[in-house]
Amino acid sequence: MRRSTFFAFIAPSFVLMLLFIATPLVIVGWQSLHQERGLFHDVKVETCSPGFLRQTCTTEIRSQPVRGADGKAITETRFVGLDNFAALLQPDLLGRALSGSRAAFAELLELDFYRALRFTLTFTFATLPLVLGLGLAIALAVDATVRSLRGPAIFVSLLPYVITPVVGALSIRWLFVGDGIGTAGLEGLTGQRILMLTSGWTMELLMLFYRVWHVAPFAFLVFYAGLQTVDQSTMEAAVVDGATRLQRLRTIVLPHLAPLVVFVALIHMMDSYRVFEEVVGFASQSYRISLQWLTFHYLTADNTGNRAVSRASASAILTMVGIVLLLIPLLMRTWREHRGK
Amino acid sequence: MSTAPSLRTPPSLRFLAGVFLLGWMLVALFPLVWIAVQSVRLPVDAFSSNPFTVLRAPGTLAAEGGVSVLGLLGVIAIGGGLIYWLRRHGSDVAYRVAGPRRVRGWLAVLAMAAVALVIGVWVLQVIPLGAPAIGLTFAHYRQVWIADGFHHQFLNSMLVTGGVVTISLSVGTLAAYGFARTRTRLAFWLLIIALVFRAMPHSVLVAGYLPVFISSREWLTPLWQFPLFSLISADPPTLYGKPWAVIVVLVAINQPFTIWLLRSFFASIPAELDEAAAVDGCTPFGAFRRVIMPVMWPGVITAGLFSFLLAYNDYIVAALLLDAQSQTMVPTISQYINSETNAGDQLRAVAAAVSITAPLFLLIMAFQRNIVSGLVQGAVKG
Amino acid sequence: MMLRKFAAMAAVSLLASVSAQAACDIHPPMPIKIMTASFPAWKAVTTAMAECGNLQVEFDMLYRDKQPAALAAKPALYNIAGTAPNNLVPLLNDGLVRPLDDLVAKFGQQLTPNQLVRIDGKVMAIAMMVNTQHFMYREDVLKSLNIPVPKTYDDILAAAAAMRKANAVQYPFAGSWKAGWDLAMEFINLFPAYGGSFVGAGNVPTINNATGLKTLATLKALTEYMDPEYLTADAASVAKQFQQGKVAMSNFWASRAGAMDDPKESTVVGKVIMAAAPAAVAGGKPATTLFWDGFAIAKNIPDQEAEYAFRVALKGIDAEMVKANNATAVWLIKEYQPSRLSEGAIASAEQGAPSYQATTAMGLMHSALGTGMADFFTGRKTAEQTLASIEAAYTTAARERGIMK
Repeated sequence: MRRSTFFAFIAPSFVLMLLFIATPLVIVGWQSLHQERGLFHDVKVETCSPGFLRQTCTTEIRSQPVRGADGKAITETRFVGLDNFAALLQPDLLGRALSGSRAAFAELLELDFYRALRFTLTFTFATLPLVLGLGLAIALAVDATVRSLRGPAIFVSLLPYVITPVVGALSIRWLFVGDGIGTAGLEGLTGQRILMLTSGWTMELLMLFYRVWHVAPFAFLVFYAGLQTVDQSTMEAAVVDGATRLQRLRTIVLPHLAPLVVFVALIHMMDSYRVFEEVVGFASQSYRISLQWLTFHYLTADNTGNRAVSRASASAILTMVGIVLLLIPLLMRTWREHRGK
Repeated sequence: MSTAPSLRTPPSLRFLAGVFLLGWMLVALFPLVWIAVQSVRLPVDAFSSNPFTVLRAPGTLAAEGGVSVLGLLGVIAIGGGLIYWLRRHGSDVAYRVAGPRRVRGWLAVLAMAAVALVIGVWVLQVIPLGAPAIGLTFAHYRQVWIADGFHHQFLNSMLVTGGVVTISLSVGTLAAYGFARTRTRLAFWLLIIALVFRAMPHSVLVAGYLPVFISSREWLTPLWQFPLFSLISADPPTLYGKPWAVIVVLVAINQPFTIWLLRSFFASIPAELDEAAAVDGCTPFGAFRRVIMPVMWPGVITAGLFSFLLAYNDYIVAALLLDAQSQTMVPTISQYINSETNAGDQLRAVAAAVSITAPLFLLIMAFQRNIVSGLVQGAVKG
Repeated sequence: MMLRKFAAMAAVSLLASVSAQAACDIHPPMPIKIMTASFPAWKAVTTAMAECGNLQVEFDMLYRDKQPAALAAKPALYNIAGTAPNNLVPLLNDGLVRPLDDLVAKFGQQLTPNQLVRIDGKVMAIAMMVNTQHFMYREDVLKSLNIPVPKTYDDILAAAAAMRKANAVQYPFAGSWKAGWDLAMEFINLFPAYGGSFVGAGNVPTINNATGLKTLATLKALTEYMDPEYLTADAASVAKQFQQGKVAMSNFWASRAGAMDDPKESTVVGKVIMAAAPAAVAGGKPATTLFWDGFAIAKNIPDQEAEYAFRVALKGIDAEMVKANNATAVWLIKEYQPSRLSEGAIASAEQGAPSYQATTAMGLMHSALGTGMADFFTGRKTAEQTLASIEAAYTTAARERGIMK
C-alpha cells in the first residue's frame, strides 16, 4: 500500500486520537513540569453568616486572591522541573529505603503514592494468573462438556463481563456490607464474626475477586475462540502417536493459544493497572487506593474549589510510564511478530 | 464439525467439566440475580440479612401483595421458554419472515415473543394458582421509570451508544484496514502509539476537557467568522452538555482497541484479493469497498459489541461532560446512591441498575454467536 | 435537530413535572437556569421557582467541579448557583458572582437581615436554610437505663458504656464517619471546641499539638461503641441504622431528622429526640458547625437577566413554599414554624455553635484531614504520626496553591 493511501485510510481515526488523547496528554505533560500559583494577599474581611435567628459577623484576616483589571484572579505559572514528581516520589526517602533501611521502607509504604503503587501492582499481578487460569479453565470445560450446556454456559459467562462496572461492583459490595447475605453466609460457614469491609486485606480480597469475576469471561471468550481453530489433523496425529490428553494440551493446544494469552494479558494488565472503579465501588479509600484513584483525587475540586493539578499531572505521567514499562516485554513480542510477517 | 472417535471427550471428563461449569455459572450469575430479586422487594425485606426473608419477602407480601409459587414457576417457565426459543429458532424465523432484511425479521420475531408473553401472563392470571405466597412489588420500577422519567436517560444512552458504535466502526475499519496492509516501521510505531493512548487513565483525559468544553463558545468564535462554520449553526456551540461532543470523545478513546481488533481480522483476509482488485483498476478505497466490505461483517460486529460496551457502560465522560437534560443512565444511578439518599432511594438505584442490565442481556442474547464466530475468524490472532 | 428535540423534550417534561398552577407573575422572557446539589430542600425550592415558567433545573452531583467553570463562561451557563459556605469560596475568589445589594433593596422585602450573607459588607448570597450536626438520641433507651441526657462527649462515652453493659442496643453510638469529607467534619466539629484553631498567621497549620491529639483521642474512644464499618458509613447508612433501631445516640445531620419519623422506613417513630450538639468540655459551646444553604447570582450575565433570576429565586423561597414544605428543612424564612424535629438544630445555633469558616486554607485543611485521618482509625499510624502527615499534606497543598510561603 502506498504511503499516501495508508495515511488517507488512517487519517480520520488519528485526527480524533490526536485531538482528544494526544493533546490532553501533551497538556498533562506540560502541567507536570509547572506549577500555577494564585497570588494571595491578606485582607481584613468582615463576614456575616446566618445563624438561626441572628447573624454572626466575624472580622478576620483572610488570604484573598489578588485580582487583575479584568476581575479575574491573577495567577503565576512557573517552571518547577521535577518538583511535582519529587513531591510524589520523595526521592531521599526512597534512596534510604533502597539502601536497606527498614524503617525508611515502612515509612515509604505509608506515602500515598507508594501505597497506591503497591496496591496497583499487587492487583495487576495477582489477578493476571487468576484471570488467565479461570478463563482457560472455563474455555476447556465449555469445549469438553455436552453440547446442550455450551450455549447457556457461554451466555451466562458473558454476563459478568458486559455488566456495567459500577453496577457489578455494587452488586458484589451489597452482598458483603454489614449483615449482607454474603457476610452472613461466610459467618455461617466459619462460625466467626466476619466484617469484610473493616480491614484492608479482606477489602483487597473482595476487590480482587470482583476483578477476576468481571474479566475472566473476556479471557474465556478469546481462548474459546482460539480452541475452535486448533488444527484437528495435528491433534489426530498426536493421538496416533499415543499422546495423552494432558500431553496434547501441553504440546499442541497451549502453544496454539500462546498468542492469545499474550493478547489477553496485554489488555488485562493495561486495564488493571488503571484500576479505579473498584476503589469507588467498594469505597475502599481509607484502606486501599490505586494510582488512578490518586490522580483523580488530586484532580477533584475539594471543598472550597482547590485542585492539585500539577501533582495530578505528575501522577498521571507516572501511571503512564508504569504501564509502558509493564508492556515492554509484550510489545517486543509484537514487534518481532510484526517484522516476521 | 465431525470429531474423530479417538478425540472425543470421555464421559467422566465431560461430567467433571459440566460440574465445574455449573459452579462457575452460579458464581457468575448470583450477584446479578440477587439484585434483581432485591429490586422487587420493599426496603424491609430487601436488606434483610436472612436470605430466605429476601426471597419470600413477607413484609412486601403484607404491604403490596405478591404471587403464588405456581404463578412464579409459570412466569419463569414462560420466560425461560421464550428465551430458549429465541436463541434456538429466532434467527431462522427472522430469515423466513423477511429474508435477508434481518432487522425487520428480528422486529417481527420480537413482536411474536411479546405477544406470546402477554398471552402467557394472561393465562396465568385467569387460571387459579393458589394464594399469593411470595411478596412482589414493582413500586421501585414505577418510581424510576414513570415518576423520575428514566426513559430520558435511556434515550440519551441509546443516542450516545448508537453514535459511538456507528462512528467508531466507520472510522476504525478504515484505519484498521490501512494498518493490516502496511508493514512499514512507521505503521508499527503508530500502532504502538495507539496502544499507549489506550493506557491513558480516562479521568486525566476527561478532567482536561471540562473547562474547554464549557467555554467553547468563546474560543470557537474566531472560527465562526468563516462562512463554512456558520452553515453548521448560527452561533458557535457550547460543547458541554452536547451528546455529540461526548460521542466524539468516546470514539477517540475507543479507537485503539477497535483498530487492534480489526487489524488482525483484516490481516487474515488474503491480500491477494485486493491486489487482484487493484489490477482490475480499482482505487484503494474501491478495493476496500468491493473486496473487504462484503466479508468484514463478523469482525465488525465483534468490534461493534466492544464499542457498544464502552459507550454504554461509560461513567466518567458522561458524568462530567453532560448536563442533567442530556445525561445517560450510568451516572444517573450514582445520583441515586450518593449520600443524600434514604433506603428507598437505594432500592431505586437497584431497580435502575437492573434496568440498565436488561438491554445488555438482550444484546448478548442476540449476538452471542456472532461474538464467538467473529473472534474465531481471526479477530484474536494477536 | 434530533439532539435539540431531545433536549427540548427533556426540559419540557422536567417543567411539566414540577410546574403547578402558576401563582407567579414574574414571567421571565429568557430561560432561567440554576445549578445546585440535589437534596429535598432544593427540590422543594426549585418546584416553587418553576411556577414562574421558563426554568431549567440542573441537579448535579459534580457541582463542585462544574459550577466554577460554568459560571466563568461568557455568558455564564447558569444564572443561579445553589451555594453553601464552602462552594461559594471559589466563586468569590474568581469573582464569578455579583453583589446583590441593589437587587435586595429593590425586590428583597421578604428577606430577613439574617438571610443576607455578607462578605466585606456586600451581600454576595442569600441563605434559605441552615443545617448542622446535632445530638440525636433514643429517649426510650436512655430512660429505661436511667441515664441522664448527655451534655458533653464524656457523658456520651459514659452513657455508651452503660448501654453496652446492659446490652440495650447493638451499637450505642453512630456517626457518618465515611473517610474523606465526612470524617474530617468530625474533627472540625470537635477541635475548635477544645480551643484549637486550624491555621495561624500566614496560613501555617496549627493542628499538630496537644489539642489535636485530644480531639483524635476522643473520637477514637467513641469508635469503641460504633459499628466497626464506621469508616464507610455515610449519612444514608447511619440514618438506616437509626431507623432499624440498631443505634441509640449520634451527633448527626439535622437534615436527616425527618427520616426518624417516617413511618414507611422507620421502626422508631417518635422515639428519637433532637437536642443541641454535645459540648467538648462541660459548659462549653456545642461542638458542631453551622452550615447554610442558599443561592448566588452569576456575574457574567446581562443585568436584566440577573434581575429576573433573582426574582424567580426569591419566588422559590417565599412564604407559600415554606408552608408547603415546613418539615423539609430548618428554614430561615420568617414563616417557618419550628417543630420537634428542628429543636436540636435551633438549640445548637442559639447556644453559639460556630459557622463553617469557608476559606481557601480551610478547604485545603478539610481535604488534608479527610485523607489523613483514616490512617489513625485503621491503626496504620499513631495519633502523632497522623497529625504530622496531615500537617505535611496541608503544607504541600498550601504552598502549591500559593497561600503559604
